[in-house]
Amino acid sequence: MDAQFLVSFGLILATFGLYIGIALFNKARQTSDFYVAGRSVPAVFNGMAIGADWMSAASFIGMAGTIMIMGYDGLAYIMGWTGGYLLLTFLLAPQLRKYGRYTVPEFIGDRYQSNTARLIAAVATIIISFTYSIGQLSGSGVVIGRLLEVDVAVGTMIGVILIAFYSALGGMKGITWTQVAQYLVLIIAYLIPVIFMSLQLTSNPMPWLSYGQVIGELRELDQALGITEYVVPFTENTKWQFLALMFTLMAGTAGLPHVIVRFYTVATMKAARWSGAWALLFIGLLYLSAPAYAAFSRFILMDQVAGSPINNLPAWTTAWVDTGQLSVADQNGDGVLQWAEIVISKDIVVMATPEIANLGIFVIGLMAAGAMAAALSTAGGLMISISAALSHDIYYRSINPHASEEKRLAVGRWSIVIATVVAGLVALNPPGAITQIVAWAFALASGSFFPALLLGVWWKRSNGPGVIAGMVTGLSVSLAYIFAAKYGGFTILGIVDTGAGVFGASAAIVANIVVSLLTKEPSQQVQDEVIDLRYPEEMTYKDGEVWIKDGTEG
Amino acid sequence: MRKVEKKVADAYFRLRTTLIVIYLAIGVCVSYLVVFFARDLSSITFNGFPLHYYMGAQGAVLTFIILLFVNAFVNDKIDQKFGIHSDKKTNLSSGNTLDQ
Repeated sequence: MDAQFLVSFGLILATFGLYIGIALFNKARQTSDFYVAGRSVPAVFNGMAIGADWMSAASFIGMAGTIMIMGYDGLAYIMGWTGGYLLLTFLLAPQLRKYGRYTVPEFIGDRYQSNTARLIAAVATIIISFTYSIGQLSGSGVVIGRLLEVDVAVGTMIGVILIAFYSALGGMKGITWTQVAQYLVLIIAYLIPVIFMSLQLTSNPMPWLSYGQVIGELRELDQALGITEYVVPFTENTKWQFLALMFTLMAGTAGLPHVIVRFYTVATMKAARWSGAWALLFIGLLYLSAPAYAAFSRFILMDQVAGSPINNLPAWTTAWVDTGQLSVADQNGDGVLQWAEIVISKDIVVMATPEIANLGIFVIGLMAAGAMAAALSTAGGLMISISAALSHDIYYRSINPHASEEKRLAVGRWSIVIATVVAGLVALNPPGAITQIVAWAFALASGSFFPALLLGVWWKRSNGPGVIAGMVTGLSVSLAYIFAAKYGGFTILGIVDTGAGVFGASAAIVANIVVSLLTKEPSQQVQDEVIDLRYPEEMTYKDGEVWIKDGTEG
Repeated sequence: MRKVEKKVADAYFRLRTTLIVIYLAIGVCVSYLVVFFARDLSSITFNGFPLHYYMGAQGAVLTFIILLFVNAFVNDKIDQKFGIHSDKKTNLSSGNTLDQ
């Protein structure tokens, strides 16, 4: 039990105590608290909660490493995962807020007046959120396992118990305020090391301004070594794969149920727009820093680690070599470690950075607490979505419409506990690489929810049969392309499995439009409701006329 | 409650939609278009970065953030111009919800 263990453990324990305290203080007392936090969350804080919800273990731990290894091609993740907020805030969120339901499947069911559509959407929510949460839980297992020096399986189970406890207790209300705290923890933990690295390498405390210079030096190092330059585009995949991946991530972001439901927790359409803007600002702080991390880490590895004698490597390398995430074999036997002989897993770049840059045990502990915050906050939001789909969309709206409020809350809580435990069991032995699973979840979301919501909000002629055809087609095309590209070697324009969403979304939009036009148009009431979404809450569309509230009504 | 002229209501919707189309077009230019011409832009240097890399790592994200804040701000102004006052919103907070 060394000093590092005590510091990491102490910081994680302190932050967990804070989260649980907040969850207890904001215990959900009624259904609207549980699903949509009583619709009373102010826009700035909702922005932070969206940020924590959004930035998962994959973003916190994996993104900088992905960019470091893929170079320019990794930037598709930066633009895709931020650009999604444009689609969401401009095209969907305010309108969905005005329509005002508890969940995304509920919107789809009511807007398209189809129980079948609602059930398909509920099942899709469960599949997408469940897949995504497996990645979060195994991510938290890795962090707990590495820093508390216990087995990864034990780490995962600790994470499961924590998430099940505070999501089930607090519901959306507890989770929202917990996530505000988690955002602050994770962003501080992410920024401190990168600022210190920037100071060490460039004497400038603003990494965002200073790493351009490091990029220039990296180009020279690459040229001297004769390897592919870091900034050269499309070295990993084709240009079309870059564009397709970027589209899949954007459309998937705009169609992820656990993100959309965040916009239901605010009071008005106006607040939904401001929430989107604040959210992207808070998310941007991390996403603008990730490429700086990547450049600094690569520079330190190339400049200070590569070229060292193999028997005189920095002490931190041993710990990571032991975990199997880093390999530093001296292949040509000259006693010196060459750049080409370093194989680093992208998942350790951020976690190892404080050690690489020699920042001390407090920063390392802080990173652990930040990574845990990222994994737990996203998992919490995902669990609420799964529980809402099960208890609200399936149980309350289809099985037992007369269920009392207590009964619905109880079903919601139990479904969180069960979903977390099942996801935890799967996460003990994950079915694939975390980033891969996450990318598939986005391809599925962009094939199912994005087209259904987009046409539901903007095209009044779209109807029940249309949306059913669209969701089924989109999901099938996305899935088929993922499997064909991954296992069958089938690609179009070099687009691989992670870009599948572009085909899923196009197929779903076409299917929705064609089937809608071939079948009966929706009832006048539904069409009026869709036109009503064009206007703010104070304006109401009724029987072909628009009314505005001017304070004279009671 | 008072009735809004159809012309006024349509103008509100058209103005909002036009702005959204403009914002999205700007968003597409800084991301998709820049990626499409990445090779051609790589010879230009900005703040130490090759331009295509700068746009991917910072330029596009900053543009997105600015667009979202401009949208939120301009929209509040438009709402005011059309006689919608935000201070009355508290009692409207449930929208069309089923949770009363």
